[in-house]
Amino acid sequence: MSQLREPAFDRAVALVLRVGAFSCFFLMLAGLLCGLFVPGRIPLGIERAGVLLMLATPVVRVVVACFLFFREKDYRYGWISFGVLVILMLGAVFGIGEH
Amino acid sequence: MVTVLLVILGFFAGLLGALTGIGGGVLLTPILALYFGIPIREAIGTSLVAVITTSAASSSVHLQRHTTDIRLGMTLELATALGAAVMAYLVGYFNRNFLEGLFAAFLLYSAITILTKGGKFRQEDALPPAANGEIVIPPYEPRRYPLGLGASLVAGALSGLLGIGGGPIKVPVMYIFMNVPLMVATATSNFMIGVTAAASAIVYYRRGDILVEDAAPLAVGVFLGSLLGARLAPRIHTKVVVYLLVAIMLYLSGHLAVHLLRGWL
Repeated sequence: MSQLREPAFDRAVALVLRVGAFSCFFLMLAGLLCGLFVPGRIPLGIERAGVLLMLATPVVRVVVACFLFFREKDYRYGWISFGVLVILMLGAVFGIGEH
Repeated sequence: MVTVLLVILGFFAGLLGALTGIGGGVLLTPILALYFGIPIREAIGTSLVAVITTSAASSSVHLQRHTTDIRLGMTLELATALGAAVMAYLVGYFNRNFLEGLFAAFLLYSAITILTKGGKFRQEDALPPAANGEIVIPPYEPRRYPLGLGASLVAGALSGLLGIGGGPIKVPVMYIFMNVPLMVATATSNFMIGVTAAASAIVYYRRGDILVEDAAPLAVGVFLGSLLGARLAPRIHTKVVVYLLVAIMLYLSGHLAVHLLRGWL
């Protein structure tokens, strides 16, 4: 049996990725344009927000999929998604601050 | 001025990536290291941001065509994310010259693989437009999960080590060994790249190896380039673009080797 063809599920995950990619693009673009006119650290702050949002987008995608699997009572894949989330979080916690 | 150059660089990397199905990370890292004077580890971290951008934009398109196997992708991501995070952590202890040499070897290997396989896993082969516009996927059941997970661990580790997507490993493994149709394998590999790259990028960011002022213009360019590339793809003769890509990869590999030797002599 194919595991594909769950249009609503696909659309929800696609929406997360699309919103993430587009908002990062506009944040970073705003940071670049701002850098032309505003001196100081504000433009870099906007760009940093864009980069952080880009790093967070795949994480949010895993959270949404995890939630959807548990709601469908598909516990096996719910826990698998949760496992992926734990690995991502471990990187954030144990990544070296300064090196 | 550097900012404008980075936008242009990202644009062409995104364009080439969308036209050939080969991610931009493999070009961005060496170019940042060789021509923008960014140390190799920071170059890897910075281009990872562009890799995530490409994956998010392109896999949302695949998802809307319903060719992505989210369950399979999520399962294999357990291995790719683990491999990527652990390797990204270890990279902090690696010698930079070793990293540069590894990257030069990887570029050479990829260029040769693309030439001998003739770009077998290209985008349009993987996604044939069906007559009625509906994509028909035959029923299938993924097999040999242990093998798939093992290969994913290696692909993830390579991603964390070199800041690339790892598609050239995952696609053939899913297609040949796991009994997954090629278009599903391609879409699912693309889908996995975002989480894999994020797993390593988070570690690189924590270490201060992502240069925000360079990552932002690069990602802006990559985003625009891959949007244009996706539109142009059906109308452009891909073979010429693949040869162009191979030529650039060979040149960068040679330049990296020369750069390394100069440092030693």
